[in-house]
This record gives sequence, structure tokens and C-alpha cells, in this order.
Amino acid sequence: MNDPSTILESQDVAAPTSGTIIDIDDLSFSYDLGKTNTLRNISLDIPAGKVTAFIGPSGCGKSTLIRCLNRMNDLVDTAKVTSGKISIMGQDIHAPDVDAIELRKHVGMVFQKYNPFPKSIYENVAYGLRVQGIKKKSILDQAVEESLQKSALWSEVKDRLNTSALGLSGGQQQRLCIARTIAVKPQIVLMDEPCSALDPIATARIEELIAELQQDFTIVIVTHNMQQATRVSDRTAFFYLGELVEYDDTQAIFGNPSKKQTEDYVSGRFG
Amino acid sequence: MSGHILKNYDDELRFLKNNVLEMGGEVIEALEKSVKGLLQGDREICAEVVDEDEVIDSHEKKIDELGMSILLRFNPVASDLRQVLSSINICRSLERIGDHAVNIAKRSRKILKGALCEEVRLVDPLFIKAHEIVSASLTAYSDVDERKAHQVIKMDGLVDELHRSLSKNLSSTIAEHGGPNTESLLHILFISRSLERIGDLAVNIAEDIVFITSAEDIRHT
Repeated sequence: MNDPSTILESQDVAAPTSGTIIDIDDLSFSYDLGKTNTLRNISLDIPAGKVTAFIGPSGCGKSTLIRCLNRMNDLVDTAKVTSGKISIMGQDIHAPDVDAIELRKHVGMVFQKYNPFPKSIYENVAYGLRVQGIKKKSILDQAVEESLQKSALWSEVKDRLNTSALGLSGGQQQRLCIARTIAVKPQIVLMDEPCSALDPIATARIEELIAELQQDFTIVIVTHNMQQATRVSDRTAFFYLGELVEYDDTQAIFGNPSKKQTEDYVSGRFG
Repeated sequence: MSGHILKNYDDELRFLKNNVLEMGGEVIEALEKSVKGLLQGDREICAEVVDEDEVIDSHEKKIDELGMSILLRFNPVASDLRQVLSSINICRSLERIGDHAVNIAKRSRKILKGALCEEVRLVDPLFIKAHEIVSASLTAYSDVDERKAHQVIKMDGLVDELHRSLSKNLSSTIAEHGGPNTESLLHILFISRSLERIGDLAVNIAEDIVFITSAEDIRHT
């Protein structure tokens, strides 16, 4: 196993392009110090360089699980992994010597409601790099342009980089948040319902962007929109009542799921 | 399987299926009439088959519209998607069976215009089997029954065998006797060929049913 200080604390870890990047092994998780498990015995391998979708009805645990992947749940005092483990690039992310802040540099996150900082467009994208101590303007300029290019936002904002990010449309703000996330070059990008607050056109642009980002990042997306899951993802995991019901190629999950519960959910028989 | 949350989704799927079955009923009636006209020497019945083909054609269009509407409005997946796609395929097969019934009716009219031709009776056993296989395929669709669909596929062997035997018989009659009945005998040969093709189309329907139930594409295997 790789030493944590070389895997999750290094700034220059090359993103794996094949094999398993996230290994979730028999994970159970509780929000109330173990009295009740919100997630129960989840095991799944998330492939590198692919898009994996988490689907399931509200309360099934999909957002809880995605927030486990970069230890966002650490912010909840009573949250606790009660069994099992999550390994990212071979490293147990809950190992005592793994720092959650360092982990999040490698596992970025885009949220349901776009949340740009009340700063300029430029400063939003440069923020993560500045936190890392990068001050040189040429490096920041290059990173901002590259991230905005990859987020398909550059042509729309290049002439107003110093204006407030809050003046952008909703779809642009979400793409800016994606640019901010990828500016620090994470290996994994988590997206928790990234389009639920967007109109169809803005949603289509984000979906297009996901397909492009897939070339450089591993993406895990939580979505309530099953057509979106079929369009953007390679693999889909269906969760129900805190358990993983089925995990397979997206085509199989929506074309011929092996579990009746999955079929009933994806075909709109419950939800 | 339990119903969808959207009740009108269930209603639309049921409506689509009922339309396919209704079209199937019309196709079987056309097939029955075409052969009945031939065997009973009734050119009027044959003419009805030709005239009524547009009803079958309009049914095909209606089923296409229904299928497209379901795809657009409900975005079906898994077995629902297979049901919609297969129902559209099945209606295509039924329309072609209807066309074969029209061919049989047209050729029957030509046969009936000429001198009495005893060989028309030879068509009956093949017609009975072709009728049976189409009915069985529609029952399998109605019941969404994979076992019955596989039985349909097996039945086609007998239809093929009867067609081969009849073709051989007619060919030797033409070769040995020829004469004024040759044209009628050739028409019967083509009718036999239509009945054999109807068996193949029933097999196509059965393959679609297997796709609905198991998601397995058994065509060309």
C-alpha cells in the first residue's frame, strides 16, 4: 500500500486512467454515533476515468455516500463510519494520518446549489490555488484560463474576469464552481445533483461538460434525473433504504436490471 | 409487476398492447378470408381482403404514433422500453402478414377466373398451420409468455415442411401435365410461398416476445 503522505498529500498525483480508483468495502455509516446506520454494508469499486452515477429515491443514502468519499460528513459531529472502509488510490481515507483537507484537494466536490464566493470570477477559480500558497501571477493566470476553458466558460467570461461571479447566470455560476473545483487538479470530482437548480439548456451544457471532464477526471454524480444518469454515466449504482441494491453498467441498469427492485424504481413504479 | 406511479403510463401501455392485439385480430381475419375465398370459390370475399387492407395499414400508423407518444412522454426504460419497441416491431410483422393475405386474395381471384383447379385444396393443410402459428404468436404476446413464444418458433418447422412438400408436388404436376392449369398452379405455388413467409413473420413476433420477457435478442441465431 502507498504511504498516505505520498498519495493523498502530494500535489502532483497523476490521475489513474484505468482500474479501481475508489474502493468502498462493506461500509456502514451513522449520523447518530452508531445508533442507526444510514448506510449499511456498502461495497462497490468505482472505476478510474469513468462517470459513475448514484441513483435512488430521496433518503436512500446516495448523497450521504458521496459525502463520505471526501469526508464531508466529518463536519457533522455525530457522524461516524461504523464499519468497513473507503480506499482512494489504495489509501484508507479514514486512516489517522490522512488529513481531510488534503484529501479534498484530490477529491473535489460540486454541490446541488451553485455557491460561488462573493468575489470576482478570477478569484473564485484562483481561490483553491491561493489556499495552497501559490502566489505567482503567471501560474494563477494559466490555471484560471485552463480551468475556465475546461469548464466551457472561458469564451463567455474572458473579458470580464474581474467582475463579480454573482453576476453570472445560474448555469454559468455552476460551471464556475466546476472550474474552481478542477483548478486544484483533483483526481476525482464528486457532483451532488449538479443540475437540479438549472434550466434544461444549462443542464445540457453541464452534461456536455461532464463528458469532456471525463477525459481528465473520475466523476461520481448523484442525480435524481434518471435520463441524465443514462446520458452521462458509464456505471450506475442504485441505492434503497441505505443499501446498495444493484451496481452495473448504466446500459444494464436501465436496459435490463437484474433486480426487480431496480426495475421497479428505474421504470417509475415507486420512488 | 406492480403499476407505475403515473397511472396514465399504465393506461397508455395497455392501450398500445390492445391496439396490437386488435390489429392481430384483423390480420388473422384477412388471412382466413383470403383462403376461404380461394377454397369456396368466392371472389367477393377475396375482394374484401384487398379493400380492407387499408384498415390494417392505418392500424400500423396508429400503433407507431402511440409508441412514439409513449417514448416521448414517459421515457420508458427496461421492460417497458422493450415492450414499446417490440410492439412497434410486431405491428410491422403483422402489417406484412396482412400484405401476404392480400397477395393470396389477389392470386385467388386470378385462379377463380380460370378453369376449376382441383389443386387449390392442397393449400388447406398449410393454411391451417400458418393460421395456427400466427394465432399462437398473438396469444404469446397477449400473455407475455416466453415459453409459448418458443413453441411458436418450433412450429415454423412444420410450416416450412408443408410448403416444401406442396411446392414439390405442384412443380411435378406442372412438369408432368402443364396445360391450361399451369398459370393457376403457379399462383398456388406463390400462395404457398406467402403462407410460408407468414410462418416466418410469426417467428419474428415470437422473437420480439422473447426480447420483451428476457431482454435477449435471439434473431438470426
